[in-house]
Amino acid sequence: MPELPELNPVIHGKLRLALLSLLVGVEEAEFTWLRSKTGATDGNLGAQLAKLEEAGYVSVKKKFVQRKPQTLYRITEAGRAAMAEYVRALKQMLGGAIGA
Amino acid sequence: MTVNAEELELKDRLNLIEVMITEGRRTTESWGSIFVVWGIAFYVAFAWFVLSHSPYAWPITMICTYALTRVINARRRGGQPRTTMGRSIGSIWKAMAISMFILFPAIGISGKTVDPSILTAIVATMLGISTAASSIILKWKLQFGCALIWWTVAVVSCFGTIRQSMIAFLAANLLCHISFGVYGFICEARRTSQGASHA
Repeated sequence: MPELPELNPVIHGKLRLALLSLLVGVEEAEFTWLRSKTGATDGNLGAQLAKLEEAGYVSVKKKFVQRKPQTLYRITEAGRAAMAEYVRALKQMLGGAIGA
Repeated sequence: MTVNAEELELKDRLNLIEVMITEGRRTTESWGSIFVVWGIAFYVAFAWFVLSHSPYAWPITMICTYALTRVINARRRGGQPRTTMGRSIGSIWKAMAISMFILFPAIGISGKTVDPSILTAIVATMLGISTAASSIILKWKLQFGCALIWWTVAVVSCFGTIRQSMIAFLAANLLCHISFGVYGFICEARRTSQGASHA
Protein backbone atom coordinates (compact mmCIF):
# COMPACT_ATOMS: atom_id res chain seq x y z
CA MET A 1 0.00 0.00 0.00
CA PRO A 2 1.50 3.39 -0.94
CA GLU A 3 2.36 5.72 1.93
CA LEU A 4 -0.07 8.63 2.29
CA PRO A 5 1.41 12.13 2.44
CA GLU A 6 1.30 14.25 5.58
CA LEU A 7 -0.77 17.40 5.58
CA ASN A 8 1.02 20.68 6.26
CA PRO A 9 -0.02 21.58 9.85
CA VAL A 10 0.35 25.32 9.25
CA ILE A 11 -2.25 25.21 6.47
CA HIS A 12 -4.47 22.49 7.96
CA GLY A 13 -5.97 24.82 10.60
CA LYS A 14 -9.48 25.67 9.38
CA LEU A 15 -9.19 29.46 9.60
CA ARG A 16 -5.67 29.51 8.15
CA LEU A 17 -6.83 27.31 5.27
CA ALA A 18 -9.78 29.63 4.63
CA LEU A 19 -7.49 32.67 4.67
CA LEU A 20 -5.00 31.20 2.21
CA SER A 21 -7.83 30.04 -0.07
CA LEU A 22 -9.29 33.57 -0.09
CA LEU A 23 -5.91 35.10 -0.83
CA VAL A 24 -5.30 32.69 -3.72
CA GLY A 25 -8.16 34.30 -5.67
CA VAL A 26 -7.14 37.95 -5.18
CA GLU A 27 -3.97 40.04 -5.49
CA GLU A 28 -4.16 41.54 -2.03
CA ALA A 29 -6.87 41.96 0.55
CA GLU A 30 -7.55 44.11 3.55
CA PHE A 31 -7.83 42.74 7.09
CA THR A 32 -11.47 43.91 7.27
CA TRP A 33 -12.39 42.04 4.08
CA LEU A 34 -10.79 38.82 5.36
CA ARG A 35 -12.67 39.27 8.64
CA SER A 36 -16.00 39.74 6.85
CA LYS A 37 -15.45 36.65 4.66
CA THR A 38 -14.34 34.35 7.47
CA GLY A 39 -16.48 35.73 10.29
CA ALA A 40 -13.50 35.44 12.65
CA THR A 41 -12.83 37.76 15.57
CA ASP A 42 -10.10 40.39 15.28
CA GLY A 43 -7.89 38.62 17.81
CA ASN A 44 -8.16 35.16 16.27
CA LEU A 45 -7.77 36.47 12.74
CA GLY A 46 -4.69 38.50 13.69
CA ALA A 47 -3.12 35.50 15.42
CA GLN A 48 -3.71 33.14 12.48
CA LEU A 49 -2.44 35.68 9.96
CA ALA A 50 0.66 36.16 12.11
CA LYS A 51 1.28 32.39 11.97
CA LEU A 52 0.95 32.42 8.18
CA GLU A 53 3.29 35.40 7.98
CA GLU A 54 5.79 33.65 10.24
CA ALA A 55 5.70 30.62 7.93
CA GLY A 56 6.36 32.94 4.97
CA TYR A 57 3.02 32.15 3.34
CA VAL A 58 1.62 35.69 3.43
CA SER A 59 3.20 39.13 3.30
CA VAL A 60 1.84 42.18 5.08
CA LYS A 61 1.80 45.80 4.00
CA LYS A 62 0.60 48.61 6.25
CA LYS A 63 -0.37 52.01 4.93
CA PHE A 64 -2.64 54.97 5.56
CA VAL A 65 -5.54 55.73 3.23
CA GLN A 66 -7.36 59.00 3.93
CA ARG A 67 -5.70 59.05 7.37
CA LYS A 68 -7.05 55.59 8.23
CA PRO A 69 -4.65 52.69 8.81
CA GLN A 70 -4.98 49.87 6.31
CA THR A 71 -3.39 46.42 6.58
CA LEU A 72 -3.09 44.53 3.31
CA TYR A 73 -2.29 40.84 3.02
CA ARG A 74 -0.93 39.06 -0.02
CA ILE A 75 -0.15 35.37 -0.56
CA THR A 76 3.55 34.75 -1.30
CA GLU A 77 5.02 32.34 -3.85
CA ALA A 78 5.89 30.01 -0.96
CA GLY A 79 2.26 30.24 0.19
CA ARG A 80 0.97 29.37 -3.26
CA ALA A 81 3.34 26.42 -3.54
CA ALA A 82 2.39 25.18 -0.06
CA MET A 83 -1.29 25.52 -0.90
CA ALA A 84 -0.88 23.57 -4.14
CA GLU A 85 1.05 20.86 -2.29
CA TYR A 86 -1.62 20.75 0.44
CA VAL A 87 -4.44 20.31 -2.09
CA ARG A 88 -2.46 17.58 -3.89
CA ALA A 89 -1.85 15.74 -0.60
CA LEU A 90 -5.48 16.17 0.43
CA LYS A 91 -6.73 14.72 -2.86
CA GLN A 92 -4.28 11.85 -2.59
CA MET A 93 -5.47 11.07 0.94
CA LEU A 94 -9.10 11.26 -0.09
CA GLY A 95 -8.34 9.07 -3.08
CA GLY A 96 -6.71 6.59 -0.70
CA ALA A 97 -9.67 6.71 1.65
CA ILE A 98 -12.14 6.22 -1.17
CA GLY A 99 -10.07 3.39 -2.58
CA ALA A 100 -9.78 1.67 0.84
CA MET B 1 -10.93 9.35 15.08
CA THR B 2 -12.57 6.74 12.83
CA VAL B 3 -11.71 6.44 9.15
CA ASN B 4 -15.11 7.83 8.18
CA ALA B 5 -14.82 10.87 10.45
CA GLU B 6 -11.31 11.54 9.15
CA GLU B 7 -12.51 11.26 5.57
CA LEU B 8 -15.37 13.64 6.28
CA GLU B 9 -12.97 16.14 7.80
CA LEU B 10 -10.72 15.97 4.75
CA LYS B 11 -13.69 16.46 2.44
CA ASP B 12 -14.76 19.38 4.61
CA ARG B 13 -11.32 20.96 4.13
CA LEU B 14 -11.50 20.49 0.34
CA ASN B 15 -14.96 22.01 0.29
CA LEU B 16 -13.75 24.95 2.39
CA ILE B 17 -10.96 25.63 -0.12
CA GLU B 18 -13.41 25.65 -3.05
CA VAL B 19 -15.91 27.91 -1.25
CA MET B 20 -13.26 30.43 -0.19
CA ILE B 21 -11.57 30.59 -3.61
CA THR B 22 -15.00 31.22 -5.18
CA GLU B 23 -15.69 33.94 -2.58
CA GLY B 24 -12.43 35.66 -3.45
CA ARG B 25 -13.06 35.52 -7.18
CA ARG B 26 -16.65 36.69 -6.80
CA THR B 27 -15.22 40.04 -5.78
CA THR B 28 -15.86 42.24 -8.76
CA GLU B 29 -14.94 45.78 -9.52
CA SER B 30 -17.74 48.20 -10.28
CA TRP B 31 -17.35 50.29 -13.41
CA GLY B 32 -20.87 51.49 -14.26
CA SER B 33 -20.65 54.87 -12.55
CA ILE B 34 -17.25 55.60 -14.13
CA PHE B 35 -18.63 55.07 -17.66
CA VAL B 36 -21.56 57.40 -16.92
CA VAL B 37 -19.23 60.08 -15.52
CA TRP B 38 -16.96 59.96 -18.59
CA GLY B 39 -19.96 59.96 -20.92
CA ILE B 40 -21.28 63.14 -19.29
CA ALA B 41 -17.78 64.64 -19.33
CA PHE B 42 -17.56 64.22 -23.12
CA TYR B 43 -20.87 66.10 -23.53
CA VAL B 44 -19.80 68.86 -21.14
CA ALA B 45 -16.47 69.34 -22.92
CA PHE B 46 -18.14 69.26 -26.33
CA ALA B 47 -20.84 71.77 -25.34
CA TRP B 48 -18.27 74.07 -23.70
CA PHE B 49 -16.08 73.98 -26.81
CA VAL B 50 -18.97 74.59 -29.23
CA LEU B 51 -20.35 77.49 -27.19
CA SER B 52 -17.10 79.26 -26.31
CA HIS B 53 -14.47 77.83 -28.71
CA SER B 54 -12.18 77.80 -25.67
CA PRO B 55 -8.98 75.77 -26.15
CA TYR B 56 -9.21 74.86 -22.46
CA ALA B 57 -12.62 73.16 -22.74
CA TRP B 58 -11.32 69.65 -23.38
CA PRO B 59 -8.18 69.60 -21.20
CA ILE B 60 -9.90 71.15 -18.15
CA THR B 61 -12.97 68.89 -18.42
CA MET B 62 -10.78 65.80 -18.86
CA ILE B 63 -8.50 66.67 -15.92
CA CYS B 64 -11.48 67.40 -13.65
CA THR B 65 -13.17 64.15 -14.71
CA TYR B 66 -9.97 62.23 -14.03
CA ALA B 67 -9.84 63.74 -10.51
CA LEU B 68 -13.51 62.87 -9.99
CA THR B 69 -12.85 59.29 -11.16
CA ARG B 70 -10.03 58.99 -8.59
CA VAL B 71 -12.38 60.16 -5.82
CA ILE B 72 -15.12 57.71 -6.89
CA ASN B 73 -12.59 54.85 -7.05
CA ALA B 74 -11.22 55.64 -3.59
CA ARG B 75 -14.71 55.78 -2.08
CA ARG B 76 -16.22 52.70 -3.73
CA ARG B 77 -13.27 50.39 -2.99
CA GLY B 78 -14.42 50.22 0.67
CA GLY B 79 -12.25 47.26 1.72
CA GLN B 80 -12.70 45.29 -1.50
CA PRO B 81 -9.55 43.37 -2.43
CA ARG B 82 -7.46 44.09 -5.50
CA THR B 83 -7.77 41.51 -8.23
CA THR B 84 -5.54 40.84 -11.23
CA MET B 85 -8.53 41.30 -13.53
CA GLY B 86 -9.34 44.69 -12.03
CA ARG B 87 -5.75 45.84 -12.40
CA SER B 88 -5.64 44.62 -16.03
CA ILE B 89 -8.76 46.53 -17.00
CA GLY B 90 -7.68 49.62 -15.07
CA SER B 91 -4.30 49.60 -16.79
CA ILE B 92 -5.90 49.50 -20.27
CA TRP B 93 -7.96 52.62 -19.58
CA LYS B 94 -5.05 54.38 -17.87
CA ALA B 95 -2.82 53.68 -20.88
CA MET B 96 -5.49 55.07 -23.20
CA ALA B 97 -5.91 58.21 -21.06
CA ILE B 98 -2.13 58.78 -21.01
CA SER B 99 -1.98 58.37 -24.81
CA MET B 100 -4.70 61.00 -25.26
CA PHE B 101 -3.05 63.38 -22.79
CA ILE B 102 0.20 63.12 -24.74
CA LEU B 103 -1.17 63.15 -28.28
CA PHE B 104 -3.71 65.98 -28.18
CA PRO B 105 -1.63 68.66 -26.44
CA ALA B 106 1.23 67.71 -28.81
CA ILE B 107 -1.04 68.26 -31.82
CA GLY B 108 -2.22 71.56 -30.32
CA ILE B 109 1.29 72.83 -29.53
CA SER B 110 2.68 71.79 -32.92
CA GLY B 111 0.26 74.18 -34.62
CA LYS B 112 -0.38 71.73 -37.43
CA THR B 113 -3.88 71.72 -38.82
CA VAL B 114 -5.59 68.40 -38.36
CA ASP B 115 -8.98 67.66 -39.84
CA PRO B 116 -11.50 67.43 -36.90
CA SER B 117 -13.01 64.33 -38.54
CA ILE B 118 -9.65 62.58 -38.42
CA LEU B 119 -9.22 63.59 -34.77
CA THR B 120 -12.66 62.12 -34.06
CA ALA B 121 -11.64 58.93 -35.87
CA ILE B 122 -8.47 58.68 -33.75
CA VAL B 123 -10.39 59.15 -30.47
CA ALA B 124 -13.09 56.66 -31.53
CA THR B 125 -10.45 54.09 -32.51
CA MET B 126 -8.68 54.48 -29.16
CA LEU B 127 -11.96 54.11 -27.30
CA GLY B 128 -12.72 51.05 -29.45
CA ILE B 129 -9.37 49.45 -28.53
CA SER B 130 -9.86 49.98 -24.77
CA THR B 131 -13.49 48.87 -24.84
CA ALA B 132 -12.66 45.74 -26.85
CA ALA B 133 -9.72 44.81 -24.60
CA SER B 134 -11.92 45.20 -21.49
CA SER B 135 -14.68 43.13 -23.06
CA ILE B 136 -12.26 40.33 -23.96
CA ILE B 137 -10.92 40.19 -20.38
CA LEU B 138 -14.44 40.26 -18.92
CA LYS B 139 -15.84 37.96 -21.65
CA TRP B 140 -18.65 40.48 -22.05
CA LYS B 141 -20.22 40.42 -25.52
CA LEU B 142 -22.32 43.53 -24.95
CA GLN B 143 -19.19 45.54 -24.24
CA PHE B 144 -17.58 44.16 -27.38
CA GLY B 145 -20.65 45.47 -29.21
CA CYS B 146 -19.76 48.91 -27.84
CA ALA B 147 -16.25 48.53 -29.26
CA LEU B 148 -17.77 47.76 -32.67
CA ILE B 149 -19.84 50.95 -32.40
CA TRP B 150 -16.68 53.00 -31.68
CA TRP B 151 -14.88 51.49 -34.64
CA THR B 152 -17.90 52.23 -36.84
CA VAL B 153 -17.72 55.86 -35.71
CA ALA B 154 -14.03 55.86 -36.67
CA VAL B 155 -14.85 54.65 -40.20
CA VAL B 156 -17.80 57.07 -40.56
CA SER B 157 -15.52 59.94 -39.47
CA CYS B 158 -12.99 59.06 -42.16
CA PHE B 159 -15.58 59.18 -44.94
CA GLY B 160 -18.22 61.61 -43.62
CA THR B 161 -18.36 65.35 -43.05
CA ILE B 162 -17.27 67.00 -39.78
CA ARG B 163 -20.93 67.35 -38.78
CA GLN B 164 -21.64 63.67 -39.50
CA SER B 165 -18.60 62.52 -37.53
CA MET B 166 -19.57 64.70 -34.54
CA ILE B 167 -23.13 63.37 -34.55
CA ALA B 168 -21.85 59.78 -34.79
CA PHE B 169 -19.41 60.38 -31.93
CA LEU B 170 -22.03 61.94 -29.65
CA ALA B 171 -24.51 59.14 -30.40
CA ALA B 172 -21.86 56.51 -29.67
CA ASN B 173 -21.03 58.31 -26.43
CA LEU B 174 -24.69 58.07 -25.39
CA LEU B 175 -24.82 54.36 -26.22
CA CYS B 176 -21.36 53.14 -25.17
CA HIS B 177 -20.72 55.32 -22.14
CA ILE B 178 -23.95 56.57 -20.61
CA SER B 179 -26.41 53.77 -21.53
CA PHE B 180 -23.78 51.05 -21.09
CA GLY B 181 -22.71 52.59 -17.75
CA VAL B 182 -26.31 52.67 -16.50
CA TYR B 183 -26.77 49.04 -17.61
CA GLY B 184 -23.52 48.07 -15.85
CA PHE B 185 -24.67 49.91 -12.74
CA ILE B 186 -27.96 47.92 -12.74
CA CYS B 187 -26.06 44.62 -13.22
CA GLU B 188 -23.71 45.46 -10.34
CA ALA B 189 -26.62 46.37 -8.04
CA ARG B 190 -28.35 43.09 -8.93
CA ARG B 191 -25.15 41.11 -8.31
CA THR B 192 -24.61 42.86 -4.95
CA SER B 193 -28.14 42.09 -3.79
CA GLN B 194 -27.72 38.46 -4.86
CA GLY B 195 -24.42 38.30 -2.94
CA ALA B 196 -26.13 39.74 0.13
CA SER B 197 -28.86 37.13 -0.02
CA HIS B 198 -26.23 34.36 -0.27
CA ALA B 199 -24.37 35.60 2.81
